[in-house]
Amino acid sequence: MSVKHSFLPQQYDETAKPSINHNYLKEQFADYKKIFKEIEKLVQKCDFTLGRPVEEFEKNIAKLTGAKYVIGVGSGTDALFLSLKALGIGEGDEVITTPYTFHATIGAIVAAGARPVFVDINEDYNINPELIEQAITAKTKAILPVHWSGLCCNMDKIMAIAKKHGLYVVEDACHTINAKYKNKSPGTFGTTGCFSLHPLKNLNAWGDGGFVVTNSKDVHDKLVLLRNHGLINRDECVLHAYNSRLDSIQAIVANHLFKKIEHITNSRIRNARFFDQELAKIPEITVSKRDPAIKQVFHIYVIRAKDRDKLQQYLIQNDIDAKVHYPIPMHLQPAAKAKKWKYKKGDFPVAEAICKSVLSLPVHEFITREQQKYVVKKIKEFYNESKSRD
Amino acid sequence: MNPNPEIKVKFVDLGAQYKILKDEIIKKFDEISSKGAYILTDELKKFEKNFADYCKVKYAIGVGNGTDALFLSLRALGIRQGDEVITAPNSFIATAGAIVAAGAKPVFVDVKDDYNINPDLIKQAITPKTKAIIPVHLTGRPADMDTILIIARKHGLYVIEDAAQAIGARYKGKRVGSLGSTGCFSLHPLKNLHVHGDGGIITTNNKELYEKLLKLRNHGLKNRDECDFWGYNSRLDSIQAAIGNIKLEYLGDWNKRHREIAVMYRKNLSGVVTVPVDKEFEEPVYHNFIIQGDKRDELQKYLLERGIETKIHYPIPIHLQEAASSLGYKERDFLVCEAQAKRILSLPIYPELTDGQVNMVIKAIKSFYSNKNIKMSKK
Repeated sequence: MSVKHSFLPQQYDETAKPSINHNYLKEQFADYKKIFKEIEKLVQKCDFTLGRPVEEFEKNIAKLTGAKYVIGVGSGTDALFLSLKALGIGEGDEVITTPYTFHATIGAIVAAGARPVFVDINEDYNINPELIEQAITAKTKAILPVHWSGLCCNMDKIMAIAKKHGLYVVEDACHTINAKYKNKSPGTFGTTGCFSLHPLKNLNAWGDGGFVVTNSKDVHDKLVLLRNHGLINRDECVLHAYNSRLDSIQAIVANHLFKKIEHITNSRIRNARFFDQELAKIPEITVSKRDPAIKQVFHIYVIRAKDRDKLQQYLIQNDIDAKVHYPIPMHLQPAAKAKKWKYKKGDFPVAEAICKSVLSLPVHEFITREQQKYVVKKIKEFYNESKSRD
Repeated sequence: MNPNPEIKVKFVDLGAQYKILKDEIIKKFDEISSKGAYILTDELKKFEKNFADYCKVKYAIGVGNGTDALFLSLRALGIRQGDEVITAPNSFIATAGAIVAAGAKPVFVDVKDDYNINPDLIKQAITPKTKAIIPVHLTGRPADMDTILIIARKHGLYVIEDAAQAIGARYKGKRVGSLGSTGCFSLHPLKNLHVHGDGGIITTNNKELYEKLLKLRNHGLKNRDECDFWGYNSRLDSIQAAIGNIKLEYLGDWNKRHREIAVMYRKNLSGVVTVPVDKEFEEPVYHNFIIQGDKRDELQKYLLERGIETKIHYPIPIHLQEAASSLGYKERDFLVCEAQAKRILSLPIYPELTDGQVNMVIKAIKSFYSNKNIKMSKK
């Protein structure tokens, strides 16, 4: 059952042929013929751009998150970028965020013309609210917390700081569809919440897609203009803007999967719980503490492992698709150096240490208990073998 | 008057094309869904190779849409805050939008009777801040590229072709998109070559630009974990590339049919309205067939009442849009473009349109102007 990884350019081509995969799209779309029927209807109506399926999708998400407004856009990156633009953030402004994220978070801030200011993280992989205030300057306009791995940041504290200093909060919620922080959906705490529908996300499409949620009518109205060339109708353009629209056919796919979102989420939580129990017994592995007040949806299931690189290699050799999200923090990327932000090694010790020890294991809805047991067994085996070598 | 006439000649009819290609498309979707790979896959690489071969260029890069094709080209060429880019004021708003998004200032130059930028007026618009010219091959007819390229070379400017409407068109035998630093194409559903949603592609012969663009469209990543510079997310979806691969095979026939319909309209309507006449240097693809006539709005209404859909591309020039207010232009700045905007009308033109339907359009236009109530003004 090996599936070759060809999602992103080089990254998956290099790995072996793991059979316990992060990629489950073949299984997920086993019933894709139903989707074709919907697409066929769409084509006949020529309803490709901002059509009825996009509206339906936006309604679905509004219902799920409790947000007043949802705006389908081209990608999660664009959701962030357009949010910043809608809030008027640009040249000369600073945005506080985490160095432990995917490049797109930082790319979006830079694309908007602003400068990211990093703050170290906690052991839960999310931004440390205690360190935010000391990073605030006269130029700070927003805090951009990233709800990493499907776990919401400490929004009580972040919102209190934002309120005190008059800052916007733009939530990077790309990992947290259907998650909850004290019974409230991520994305609805800040001014906007930004989500991705990338094929690897918990709720996904057949290509790039994303959406923004907000409770502000003004921000909604601005985003509707920004995503579609600034047009108020076919012929009149009130501001120079962008083209970033959720495709109707991607909305059809997402609507189809939306019906399964509870199943997808619950399977991930169940599978994570099993790993939590079993892996906690292995002394070389650190499993995060779980807070019962927070519904974590495990977009990725992350552990910290001794001899991480060797363990990863060992697991891949045994057909287990273990991944590292991600080995290099943002402040140490060549791109950050090129910008001359003057960050250096040691600036964010928690994030840097975590980058060296994290490992992600597959927990999606198609992973079986048997496969999970096999993963646990192989991890134990690895440490037993290395002990006997020592 | 019938407020809801039965439409006999739609302005676009993508359903008709889908019926012909349905089996091929479904087979391809099936193949992709079975593999479960959707982003930056071999299917996209294949489309990029096919597209580059078609345009006779070395490289093609699939991106999110035609707007992004322009924006990323500007970025790849290092155009930014404080720079000026010369373009036409009668394009779709995205041309100017991309320039503004890159941080630069659009500087407009009036157009000629073929709706394309007037090369004779470019020189006087050049300032020390000018970095590039973006000629738009509007309606599927190439701009006068030799003259533009000579000016660009003389002043050290880049030329980015906005070929969104002109896939397959030739200028002196060369495909558009092969003449400038980059060529920018849209694959939007209304284009001659289109996919089932937003999509775009950039062509270039420059290896350095090619490599820059590959990173720019994918977060600046040089591999999974390392980011060389902060980039963007603008990728052509693999399912859209697959549709592109299927349709590229048909493009030659479709463009031929576009030209056939253009000939029918021209032959029968010249003398009644102003029709586009091919210039000696061009092989156009007539993405739009635009006529000019008196009482344009009345004509459009008259045609609709008879079940014929038409459009106006576009009634308000970019320099007179609210979005452009900070650029300091005013009415009468671009007389040709502004006069055209009041008289232009785009007639239905697509491969599935039958001769019968074309004749229906011709007949209706003739009958509108022969009606004794409509008086032709002297040109």
